[in-house]
Amino acid sequence: MTTGDGNTLQEPLLSVCHLRKSFGHVHAVDDVSLDIYPREVVGLIGDNGAGKSTFLSLLTGYYHADSGEFIYKGHRVPMSSPKTSRRNLKIEMIYQDLRLAPDLPVRENLFLGEEPKILGIFLNKRYMQQSAAKVLQRLNVGAKPSDLLNRLSGGEQQAVAIGRALLFDRDIILMDEPTASISVNKVQDVLRMIRDLKEHGKTVILVSHRLEDILEVSDRIVVFFHGRIRAMVKNEGLQISDLVHLMFEAAADPRKEEIAAAGESGSLA
Amino acid sequence: MAQLQARVKSLGAVLGAERGAIFGNPGSVRRPIAFLIIAFIVAWRVAPSFLTPDNLNALLISSSFLIVLSVGEGFVIMQGMIDLGVESIMSASGMLAAYMYVFKDMPPGLAIFLTLLAGIAIGVAVGLLVTRVHIPSFIVTLATFWGFSGVALLYNQGNSISPSQVTPAKEFTFLGISSYSLGGGISNLIITSVIVVVLAQLVLSYTPVGTWMKSVGSSEAAARSVGLNTAIIKTGAFAVSGLLAALAGVMIAAWQDSIYPTSGQGYSLQAIAAVILGGIPFTGGRGTVAGAAIGAVIIGMINNLIVLLGLPVLWDYIIVAIILVVAGLQARGGPFVK
Repeated sequence: MTTGDGNTLQEPLLSVCHLRKSFGHVHAVDDVSLDIYPREVVGLIGDNGAGKSTFLSLLTGYYHADSGEFIYKGHRVPMSSPKTSRRNLKIEMIYQDLRLAPDLPVRENLFLGEEPKILGIFLNKRYMQQSAAKVLQRLNVGAKPSDLLNRLSGGEQQAVAIGRALLFDRDIILMDEPTASISVNKVQDVLRMIRDLKEHGKTVILVSHRLEDILEVSDRIVVFFHGRIRAMVKNEGLQISDLVHLMFEAAADPRKEEIAAAGESGSLA
Repeated sequence: MAQLQARVKSLGAVLGAERGAIFGNPGSVRRPIAFLIIAFIVAWRVAPSFLTPDNLNALLISSSFLIVLSVGEGFVIMQGMIDLGVESIMSASGMLAAYMYVFKDMPPGLAIFLTLLAGIAIGVAVGLLVTRVHIPSFIVTLATFWGFSGVALLYNQGNSISPSQVTPAKEFTFLGISSYSLGGGISNLIITSVIVVVLAQLVLSYTPVGTWMKSVGSSEAAARSVGLNTAIIKTGAFAVSGLLAALAGVMIAAWQDSIYPTSGQGYSLQAIAAVILGGIPFTGGRGTVAGAAIGAVIIGMINNLIVLLGLPVLWDYIIVAIILVVAGLQARGGPFVK
């Protein structure tokens, strides 16, 4: 299998195999398998309830899968908690509501849960300050590390959330509706940050309802439907109508297939 | 009209910024320090005998119990929870220590140790009920408030405990916690309260645990999403407030040389008032326990002044009420600041 951006054959960074998760009778994730490669942007689309958010939660360890495997860099790993997925699997999740602490300074937010320590007990505030300043600069955010988070604009706060991934050199960044609740002129900033992350060698898995954003940044697009992956397409020559078609068209069997670039007309039979 | 409104707004922003510069931002310890200085100046003008070494010493000693309680309460409120039961735990703990020492002939060190352990155990139990059984802290600690005021009655059939109830009389020396150090200069009660405040503030400001506590108050979702065990962090706060309430009980027993089942009465709400006064908002997330300690001293000052001026006790309550409202106002960041 090639990487999303069409490069030569590579080993997947993370392989998810036959993942299942049910809540009572609802099969939120129903036998999902996906290979995730370095340096790509994967767009996840699908209607509400299709399983995208549950899938992300399984990747971060927020939910435990009922069955299935995770293979990271060739080794089988148990995904147990947000802490282990962040540290061992180098996955960072950025929630739609950001989940940052508004009363704490930027620098405390960046390091929350993984604070650098002196003598094992005391905060290494100087290191925190310096590292935070560097990350903020890289993200082009004008705020200072000591600024309280609630003093920052929505877009800057989002950058801080992304900053955590940069700070700890995470490989895979999951983003759940990053452009849903920000102003129109900030959307391009977020998309630019996503492209930057890819430039820096990261993988971004992006869940969004805004199909235009998905088309703009994704290398490949994965379509969820009723808990399964219904289609996986390279983002070449696709239009919004193609995506809508894939998301909603009733199919005889939900199937997972790789569709070669559809070309200009965009009709996929 | 719109221009006038804009002018007022910008003036307010400037004033707010100025206030931030002088008085610190909400949650900073600069604010309670400023309040303390103002309170001192007012006290000095109103009652000349206030600023004497004897009076200040008495003030710090009588405030030491509230200071210790306020630090514990501060940890709880910092996480957006509340502990209403500290006054009852204080009474019951003082009674327990006295009971073990006077009637069971235990060495004072052991009696104190077991009492403090009991305080921690109560705190852990409260924490479990809040985090595992999901009962709001208000209700659990309302229960401990009632329950332990009852427990305090168990040790001597509802009576107080004092040294002369046994022969030979057992003075409540309690390891000298209420005697004086440095050649009779400073009461150990004052030293104890200072040590508690310094240690607690160190933890809050300079350790990851302190940051975690603030994060739980600021956004529990944020704390959980980075993998923090919020149940343990919350239970820890109650363990500390239980421990410090027990310590306050031992301290007041030593000071009075006797202990009543009602010795802690009124302290819960005063501790909460001190915490708010000191800059920790009701929803938590920011502030200092040093500020809470200063808040405790200010409350102690009001009582002290009422006595010095010979005013009716009623004024004590009214002034604390007014100060509490002012404290609540300034904790928001003021009317002009966003």
